[in-house]
Amino acid sequence: MSALKLLVHLFIPHESNNQKAKILHPKSLGLIVAFLIGFQLIISFGYVSFPQILGYAANIAPSEVIRLTNAQRAANGLAPLTENATLDSAALAKGNDMIAKGYWAHFAPDGTSPWSFFTSFGYKYQYAGENLARDFSDVPSAVNAWMNSPTHKENILNPNYKEIGIGVVEGSLAGANTTIIVQFFGTSLSGSPSVPIARANEAGSTGSVQKPIPSASPKPIAALVVPTPVPTPTSMVTNVSKSVGSPFVFTKNQSLGVVGVLLLVLSIDLIVVRRKRIARIGGRTLAHISYLGMILAVILILKAGQII
Amino acid sequence: MKTFVKHIPHYLTLFGILFAGFAGLILFSYDKNFQLSIAVAAASAYVAWGIVHHILHKDFHFEIILEYLAVAILGLTIIFSLIIRA
Repeated sequence: MSALKLLVHLFIPHESNNQKAKILHPKSLGLIVAFLIGFQLIISFGYVSFPQILGYAANIAPSEVIRLTNAQRAANGLAPLTENATLDSAALAKGNDMIAKGYWAHFAPDGTSPWSFFTSFGYKYQYAGENLARDFSDVPSAVNAWMNSPTHKENILNPNYKEIGIGVVEGSLAGANTTIIVQFFGTSLSGSPSVPIARANEAGSTGSVQKPIPSASPKPIAALVVPTPVPTPTSMVTNVSKSVGSPFVFTKNQSLGVVGVLLLVLSIDLIVVRRKRIARIGGRTLAHISYLGMILAVILILKAGQII
Repeated sequence: MKTFVKHIPHYLTLFGILFAGFAGLILFSYDKNFQLSIAVAAASAYVAWGIVHHILHKDFHFEIILEYLAVAILGLTIIFSLIIRA
């Protein structure tokens, strides 16, 4: 079979394929499904077993997170936040804690609160807040996601906060390679000694119902003195420069390719069958196009990344 | 085209099912498990639509259902892999 005949056989309704492109036959579609599953297994295996080859690291620079956060504040007429090395270290510790204990939440399964990281690093706060993001491949996407969430936005645009600390941690969470961004906001007590009541704001557990949680309020200020050595800020980022592409991006591109080819073949099928008035037993091509069109729209709209 | 015009109510139903599935996947982007459930529901509804449509059209065959199933499973595989990786 020549190459041209093979192409016709695969992609165009013809006598050789019983008037339906071979690639649209259920067996061929089954093979494509097997290929897609195999591809997922390979990239999962590859990212775990050969991190030096397929190692993925998101392009997340803490300084960029701070710059974009301050840009949002400036756009809303607020003073910029000052980076605080202690908050950086506390944020990094929070990120490492999530990786070590395998949780994705403001509060650890053992009840450890976000505020305990502030105090354990010796940051005595008047106000404190936390935003979390994971699996974003770049900083603008993460900051935009926070700004699109009312309560995270409230943290970013809170005039009570004076300082910020960022921790970026990479590791495995529930078996998946993950990049976590921890954004700590704070106002040190030393800057405002006269304020009597401590208060903490925290984004809630989902993107849509996030309000300050009273139970997350810190203990009385007098009990917050637990100073510990402050790690150097250079340890805040792990492997942020070797990014070649995330598993999500690979999957998205592969899915776009498969669905694109199938939609093209189905469109050709629709035209050829109509023009040649071919009578055959088979599903409705227009229905298949509609379903795969929905899949295509979902592929285009889905984005990686979660915030809490 | 005549076939399509004749079956406009059928296709409107299908478009409604698919739009509901699409909207659900976007609206509940914060809940992966619910998204997966929506994807399964949309794929199942699509296959069910195919069965009902061909029964009403009096050209129901086992091979046709296999075709709808194959397309539905293909779509599900893609959506599952993307949601899990996202």
